[in-house]
Amino acid sequence: MGDEPSDTPKVRAKLWDGPTRIVHWALVILIGFAWWCVKANQTEWHLWAGYGILGLIIFRLIWGFAGSASARFTSFVKGPSATLVYAKTLSKRSAVDMPGHNPLGGWSVVAILAAILTQAVTGLFSVDVDGLESGPLSDRVSFETGRLFSKWHDLSFTAIKLLVVLHLSAIAFYALYKHANLITPMITGYKSFETDPKLRFAPLWRALLGAAAAAAVTWWVMKGLRL
Amino acid sequence: MAFQKSLLALSLVAGLALVGGSVSAADQKAKAPTTPGAKAAYTRQENFKQQGAVFKAIRDELKKDAPNMALVSTSAIKLKNSAIALPTWFPKGSGPESKYATDAKPEIWTEPVKFSAAVKRLQVEATKFQTIAASGDVAAMRAQAQAVGGTCKGCHDSFRVPEEK
Repeated sequence: MGDEPSDTPKVRAKLWDGPTRIVHWALVILIGFAWWCVKANQTEWHLWAGYGILGLIIFRLIWGFAGSASARFTSFVKGPSATLVYAKTLSKRSAVDMPGHNPLGGWSVVAILAAILTQAVTGLFSVDVDGLESGPLSDRVSFETGRLFSKWHDLSFTAIKLLVVLHLSAIAFYALYKHANLITPMITGYKSFETDPKLRFAPLWRALLGAAAAAAVTWWVMKGLRL
Repeated sequence: MAFQKSLLALSLVAGLALVGGSVSAADQKAKAPTTPGAKAAYTRQENFKQQGAVFKAIRDELKKDAPNMALVSTSAIKLKNSAIALPTWFPKGSGPESKYATDAKPEIWTEPVKFSAAVKRLQVEATKFQTIAASGDVAAMRAQAQAVGGTCKGCHDSFRVPEEK
């Protein structure tokens, strides 16, 4: 689906780095697993999945400031006018040769990250109706507030589901209408460009440092912010 | 562009309506009850909130390395008394027919033997917990708190409208 019948020479260049792709697919798997855990009444596993998701989100936020060019918020979070300018080109049947998220996609990323962060944080304070399982920070709030957090946890999951539907619809729109394959680059990391965007990528040590920091914060939260 | 703008406006309105709808639904729930059935349902919910708070206080303490034993044992007495009073929280007419927002299933009243047995399990485990709390054995308290929670869940699974998942 992605190969345009074009005679212009294409350059295959790296777009998404390893950490960004790992976070993306790990979130897909863990959020799906956390959802299944609720359906299957596996609350203990649901909590473990939540800790994993929290760690991934913290890492992704760090990576949004200190990661590779295409993962940085400054590279894809655009103001309303730039977003509108891009939105006007949506109906064109060819994709813009943009190295990374377009302005609309950028906002979709921000929204989905915010929703997942909200999901993780509300979970930390949630109290279940049986008092059997509760988030690691639920002792900081009353029973009723904890129950309220549990309701918000439910609402923000609805938001995540809506955003995922939007995300998948956008991918389908780009594939079918604009003949642009967004899926393969998120798997392999490579995409074809008209001209090599020569993106800069962060070194491995920085990813490891970011992962260690994210893991440490998550561990601290798991312990109820006690050392 | 006008189309995209109106689409954006439309989705904003839809989002706000969604939030507004759930807020007004919550308001509906908080409306003061007037009929005896609704009043009983309201009181029951208040009692369960108190019982939940007491049990949560116990569990929060038991999470700590050095639980506050005085708090646990006074809470254990409250929990036991609450469990003993629990059957009186379900007078006939306080179910869904009360028109009050309740998660109590009609089975509470149509299967009274089964319901009483479920309540009895809570009373037995809560009483056991109170005895253990007086003994001071933290490990045993933690295990028994799980047993108490299990009876909450056991009853909820059969007699409470499941939360949306």
